[in-house]
Amino acid sequence: MNNRFRNAHVLFAACLIVIFFGLRGVAEDAITAITNAKIMTVGPAGTIEKGTILIQGGKIAAVGASVSVPAGAVIIDAAGRVVTPGLIDAHSHTAMEDGVNECTNIVTAEVRVRDALDPRDISIYRQLAGGVTAANVLHGSCNSIGGQNATIKMRWGAGSGDALIFQGAPPGIKFALGENPKRSSFGGGSPRRYPATRMGVEVSIRNAFLEARAYKKTWDEYEASAKIAASAPKKGGKASAPAPLKVAPRKDLQMEALKEILEGKRLVHAHAYRADEILMLIDVANEMGFKVATFQHVLEGYKVATEIARHGAGASMFSDWWGYKMEVYDAIPYNAAIMASHGVVVSLNSDSDELARRLYWEAAKTVRYGGVSEDEAFKMVTLNPAKQLRIDKWAGSIEAGKDADLAIFKSHPFAPDTRVEMTLVDGKVLFDRARDLAARTGVAATLGGGQ
Amino acid sequence: MKRHPRPEFALGIGVAAAAFLSPWAHAAKVPTYAITRARVITVSGPAIDNATVVLRDGVVLDIGPNPAIPKDARVFDGTGLTITPGLIDAYSGSGMPAARTGSPGGGPAAGAAALPAPNPINPASRIYEQVRALEALRARDLGVTTIVPIPREGLVFGSAAVLNLIGERPEAMVVKPNIALAASLTTLGQRYPDSLMGTMAFFRQALLDGPHHRAEVAEYEKAPAGRKRPAFNPGLDVWADVAGGAIPLLLETPRIGDLRRAFALADEFKLKLVLAGNTRAFEEAALLKERKAALLVSVNFDPPRARGFFGGSDDDKERADIENAEKNPGVLDKAGVKFALVSGFAPDFLAGVRKAIEKGLPQETALRAVTLTPAEILGAADRMGSIEKGKIANIVVWSGEPLTKDAKIKMVFVDGELYEPEEKPAGPGGAAPPHPGDMNEGARGQAEVKR
Repeated sequence: MNNRFRNAHVLFAACLIVIFFGLRGVAEDAITAITNAKIMTVGPAGTIEKGTILIQGGKIAAVGASVSVPAGAVIIDAAGRVVTPGLIDAHSHTAMEDGVNECTNIVTAEVRVRDALDPRDISIYRQLAGGVTAANVLHGSCNSIGGQNATIKMRWGAGSGDALIFQGAPPGIKFALGENPKRSSFGGGSPRRYPATRMGVEVSIRNAFLEARAYKKTWDEYEASAKIAASAPKKGGKASAPAPLKVAPRKDLQMEALKEILEGKRLVHAHAYRADEILMLIDVANEMGFKVATFQHVLEGYKVATEIARHGAGASMFSDWWGYKMEVYDAIPYNAAIMASHGVVVSLNSDSDELARRLYWEAAKTVRYGGVSEDEAFKMVTLNPAKQLRIDKWAGSIEAGKDADLAIFKSHPFAPDTRVEMTLVDGKVLFDRARDLAARTGVAATLGGGQ
Repeated sequence: MKRHPRPEFALGIGVAAAAFLSPWAHAAKVPTYAITRARVITVSGPAIDNATVVLRDGVVLDIGPNPAIPKDARVFDGTGLTITPGLIDAYSGSGMPAARTGSPGGGPAAGAAALPAPNPINPASRIYEQVRALEALRARDLGVTTIVPIPREGLVFGSAAVLNLIGERPEAMVVKPNIALAASLTTLGQRYPDSLMGTMAFFRQALLDGPHHRAEVAEYEKAPAGRKRPAFNPGLDVWADVAGGAIPLLLETPRIGDLRRAFALADEFKLKLVLAGNTRAFEEAALLKERKAALLVSVNFDPPRARGFFGGSDDDKERADIENAEKNPGVLDKAGVKFALVSGFAPDFLAGVRKAIEKGLPQETALRAVTLTPAEILGAADRMGSIEKGKIANIVVWSGEPLTKDAKIKMVFVDGELYEPEEKPAGPGGAAPPHPGDMNEGARGQAEVKR
C-alpha cells in the first residue's frame, strides 16, 4: 500500500515535469497567435468579440479584431473561449520557504521575501490553474514594519527564486497595524513583546522613521562630504572644504529599507483593518514624509474612503471575509464598491494559495454587492492590482507592448461554469488543462493497476 | 649567594616544560612501524600490491615494494591486508555536546525553552574547545583519523579546525586551526532570526558589519589621540575575514534552495564557500559543477526530524527525503560533481558511506571522498588525505575490501601512533555498535526535557 502511494507520488512528479518541459519548447523569436477568441483586454480596446493576439519574445505584439497571422506562427485556437490578462494577486504569501514572518522584532525591514522564495512550490502551478500570473508576495503581519516584498510572476519551472521576480517592479515593504502586530490574536506560544496596544504600534512606526531620518541625514552628509573631497583641488593652498569623513557610516540594512521609503523608492503595503488606524497611519506618513501605496485588507476602508483617496493610496481587500477576529466585525461586502466609487483604486486579493485560484469569482461578488460594472469588477483582479504594484506598464491588460501574461477561460470569468483552460506567462504556456488531464489519466491508470 | 641555578633543577623544569607545552611530548615514545606485504591504496596514485609502509615520527617515512626498514621498527606482516589513508570526516559530531532536542537546526521543541541555550551566534569561538577528546577518539573504531567537529545547534558555530584523533586534550588534536567560519542557514526558534528571510538578512548584515568594523579600527589606529576608541569586537573581526574570502565560510545548507542562496551571498560579498549537508544537492548538480563548489555531502540519510505543526509526520515525504539523500552522492558523481562525504552527525559514518556505494557511488570515488577530497577542501592535502612519503601517518589497515560490509578495521594509525580497535561481535548488518557520544542524544535530550 505504501509502495503504491510512493509510486503514485513519483509518477505525479514525473508528469508535472513532463507538463512544464513539454510546454516550453517554443523558441524566443517564434510567433504565437491566439485566434478566434473573445478578448477582454481590460485596456482601451475594451472587449473584442472575436479577435487575435500575436505574441513574440514574451510580449504582446498585436491585439485586435483584424490582426493577420503571419505564416509559421504557432496557433492556439481559442474559438468559444475568453482571453483575459493574467490575474494579479495583490496580497499573497505564496512560494515562501521557512517562515512568512520574522516575528522576533517590532521592525524587521531588513528581511527580504525574495531570499525565501521557493520556485518548487506546487502552489505556483495551482495558481496558474486559476489564471493567476503575478503576485505581490508579502511578509506576514507579525510586526508593525515587516519585511520587504517580492513581486513575482508564476514562472513554474524556474530554477531559482530570483527567476520568479517581476523585472522592473518597484520594491515594497509590509506594514501591519492593529491586532496582529500587537499580538492580541495570538496564544501563549507566541513571544510577548512590545507593542501590546494600538498606541504602541503607532509609536513603533514613528520611532523607526525618526531613526531612519537621522540615518538618512548621516548618509546624506557623508556622501556630500565625499563629493566635496573628490572635487576639491589636490594641490595649492589649504582646502576650504571640511575634511571628509574617512570611514563611511555603518550600513544598516533595516535603516536602508526605511530610507528608501522616505525617498519614495519603496512602496508601503500596510495591513490595516480599522478606520481609526488607517487614519493614524496616514497621519504618521504625512508627518514623516512618505506615502502609503496600498492599504491591505482595509475592511473598514468604506468609512474613510475619502481620506484614503486623498492620500493617494490604493486598497486591496477580501471580497467578503468578516467576523474572524474582533477588529473585523464592521466589515461589509460593499466595501470594494464604496471605496471604488470614492475614487480609490481597489483590488481584490487572496492572502491564500487556495483562494488565489478563484480570484475571478471574488471579483464577481462586487457586481452583486454594490453594483460594480463587470468591466470595473474584473479590473479589481487585473489592471488595478497592476497599478497598485506599479507594474501596469507591463501587466494588467492586453495591449501591444505589454508582457504576454494571459489566461484563457472556458467562458466569461464571472460565469458559474467557467474555468481556466490555459495560462501563459511571458508568452509561454505554463498551464494547459488538457495536458494536465492527460497526465492525470496516466497516474490514475497506474493507481488502478496497483489495486 | 651565587646565582647559578642547580643543574638538576633546571633539567627538571625543562622536561616538565617540554612535556607540558608540546603536544608532541608523547611522540618521543612512539615506535617506528613497518607494515609489510600489504595492498596499499594510496588514493593519490595507483594501488600497490605487496608493498611495505614505514611510519616514523608521525609521518610516512617510506612506501614501496622493498623500502629499508629501520632496525628499531615494529614490523607487522600485512599479508592479505589492505592499507588506506585514514578517513577524514569533515563535518563531524564526534566528541561534541549533544543537541538539546532532536530537532534539526536547533529550533527548540516546546518545553525546551527552560533549558539554558548555548549561544547560537558565536563567530569568535573556537569550536575545538568544545570537543570532549576521549569521546571523539571513539570514531577511530570506524577508521576515522581526522575530524572537523561542528556543533549540533546554532546559527554561527565559530572557527572550525582540523583535528587528528589523538591525545587527551582538544588542543593536542588540532592539525590546522581556523580553517573556516562554520555556520548554518538554519533558523532559531523564538529569537532572531526565526525565519529564513531573517537568517539571510542576518548574514548580510554581519558581512557588512565586519569590514566596517575593521575599517573603523584601522582608522582609529592611525591616530588614536583625541578620539573615542572603537569597541573591541572579535566576532566582527571574524566576519571581516570572511567577507572578501580570507577565511572560507563553511555553510550548512539544509534546503535545496540554500545552494543558490549561498552562492548569492558569495557573489555579493566575495566569499570563499564550503557548502555542507545538502541532501538534495543533486538537483543542482549542473550549477555545483559550473561553480566548482567545495561540497561536503552528508551520509546522515535519516536524521531526526522536526515534528509537524500539529505534531504529525508525513511518512511519504520522509521516505522520499531518505531516498533522495541516499542516491544524492551517486547522482552527483555521475554528473561530474566533486565532493567529500561527511558523517553530518550520522551515528555510523561507515554505514552511511556503504549505503552511498550501494545506491550508485563507485567504491573508488567513495574512498577518495572520505580521504583526499576532504583534505583538499580543508586546505590540508599538503599533509594528509593520501598515503605519500612525508604526509602525516594517518592510515587504516583493513582486512577485507575497505568500505564494504566484510571489511574489518585491524589497525588505525594517527600521527604514526597505533590504535587497535577491539574485536566486536558483528551486529546485524555488520555495523559497528553505536558510539555513545553520537547516538540517540536527541532522544536523551528529549527525555530530559520531559522531566
